[in-house]
Amino acid sequence: MSCGALIHRDRISKSVVLLLALPALILPAAALGYILWQAAPVLNWHFIFSSEEGVGFGVTEGVFAQLIGSLLLALMACAIATPFAVASALYYRLFATTRQQQLLSAMFNMLQGIPPVVFGLCGLIVLVNLFEWGVSLASGALVMAVVVLPLLMLNTLAALERIPQEYTEAGMALGLASGAIIWRLWMPRSWVNVLTGLLLAMARALSETAPIMFTATVFSGVVWPDSIFSPVTTLQTHIFYLAQEANDPQVINIAWGSAAVLILLVAIFGLLARLLQKWGRH
Amino acid sequence: MTGGRKQAAYLTVPHQSIEAPVIVDEVSALNVNQLGLQIDDKMILQDVSFKLPTRGVTSVIGPSGAGKSSLLRCLNGLLTTWSGEIVVGECDVRRWRGGWDQLRRHIGLIAQKPAVFRTTIRGNVTFGIQGWRRRRRAGELVENSLRQAALWDEVKDRLDAPAATLSIGQQQRLCIARAVAIKPRILLLDEPTASLDPRSKQLIEQSMKNLAQETSLLCVTHDLEQAQRLEGHTIFMCDGRVIERGKSSQLFIDPQCIETREFLRWSVCDCD
Repeated sequence: MSCGALIHRDRISKSVVLLLALPALILPAAALGYILWQAAPVLNWHFIFSSEEGVGFGVTEGVFAQLIGSLLLALMACAIATPFAVASALYYRLFATTRQQQLLSAMFNMLQGIPPVVFGLCGLIVLVNLFEWGVSLASGALVMAVVVLPLLMLNTLAALERIPQEYTEAGMALGLASGAIIWRLWMPRSWVNVLTGLLLAMARALSETAPIMFTATVFSGVVWPDSIFSPVTTLQTHIFYLAQEANDPQVINIAWGSAAVLILLVAIFGLLARLLQKWGRH
Repeated sequence: MTGGRKQAAYLTVPHQSIEAPVIVDEVSALNVNQLGLQIDDKMILQDVSFKLPTRGVTSVIGPSGAGKSSLLRCLNGLLTTWSGEIVVGECDVRRWRGGWDQLRRHIGLIAQKPAVFRTTIRGNVTFGIQGWRRRRRAGELVENSLRQAALWDEVKDRLDAPAATLSIGQQQRLCIARAVAIKPRILLLDEPTASLDPRSKQLIEQSMKNLAQETSLLCVTHDLEQAQRLEGHTIFMCDGRVIERGKSSQLFIDPQCIETREFLRWSVCDCD
């Protein structure tokens, strides 16, 4: 085949790949742009940082209570899930036999594939009704913890697997016990990656709606929880409620505004994760 | 008291306090009997038997895939599915219940690729010492270990510099100093000078000779000239078996087995 024909074929391949990739790049960017455009009229400090309990059912005031509710749920979920995820990853790397590793791997991949709404339903039956925790921050956080657990575990495992085997073996050859290997060898090398995984799990928890609909949130309005057994309002369910009031343009504007705040929040965690990763490489 | 419990008490003495290890069998620091290793239906080691003297260098030579590195990994407990008998001093490691981590403090291992930890040069040398108080007060030990590894003169003014700033040859000597700092009875070296420049190679050999005065060294090498320079004993392995062993001066000049003769002949041809 001539050189010209090869170059021509290369150009065709490049064009086909670009044509297929473009929608994947353009559509999310266009959606993001459209949301920010629609949200622009209501987006201001007052909208983000104000909330008055019992006023306007969330359609006239800002979204501060919802923002705090979302953050609280995501933080609590990650706080509950992190020790279990890290312990599972450490067990996998340090002690598990090949068979146990296969089993753990299969289990966490399966857990990750289960639709979150199923966990929500389980939470409703077991935590809300059976344990009588009610629709509360505690129920929602626990259900959300189960949702983010596989992601956290797999992220932690990926962080540990980035540590070269010869580095670990050098520590083992010195007679370091498992605890010393974890704390003195692995942690200094992998904490940045573990923390990055945690931030990504926070972003995931912020973007989940279904598991908390039955377990943690009153649908809208402004509620400041006075204990972990009180319900909360969240941005996710607030948007869901407002979208149902589609006839009122003012309400729709607030829904766009809430969506923009949620996207910004997720983006902040994603960006922090990227910055941390970049810093860790140096 | 049973024999096993007696051995356990002997090895649970905090290692830093053992200045001169009491070894009942003065002739051998390590006794390997009929060691076998099978991984995924493949025999890696078969019927490997030898003894290591309490001090001096024993080189292990042989073609790639002969099982030399696997042998070291079995001795250091990084591979544990072996069969046969490994006796360290008077302790049969199969009966030892103190855990491999404690046993490894008596059998150091230096890998082919130096793996320095993300800390200072001083921090690396003291890394294996148990207890942060001991690590902080280990100034003299740091100097001695670095001297034994022939690295002291090059780093004495920058002990608190990151270890990663050292050259690869220096990093390898730092790994030797780190292993020496926990005072093992036996030091296993897996091709410690592979892909190093001649100067680094010479310094590491010098360090090995220093160490051999007090410790038993088992060194896997592909460099036959190095094995001769290190003197001591040599074990020739092929296909997971020990084919021949003896004094280096004798084995290289007058090998008894045809496989050893063939290997030495081909190795000399390669060198030429």
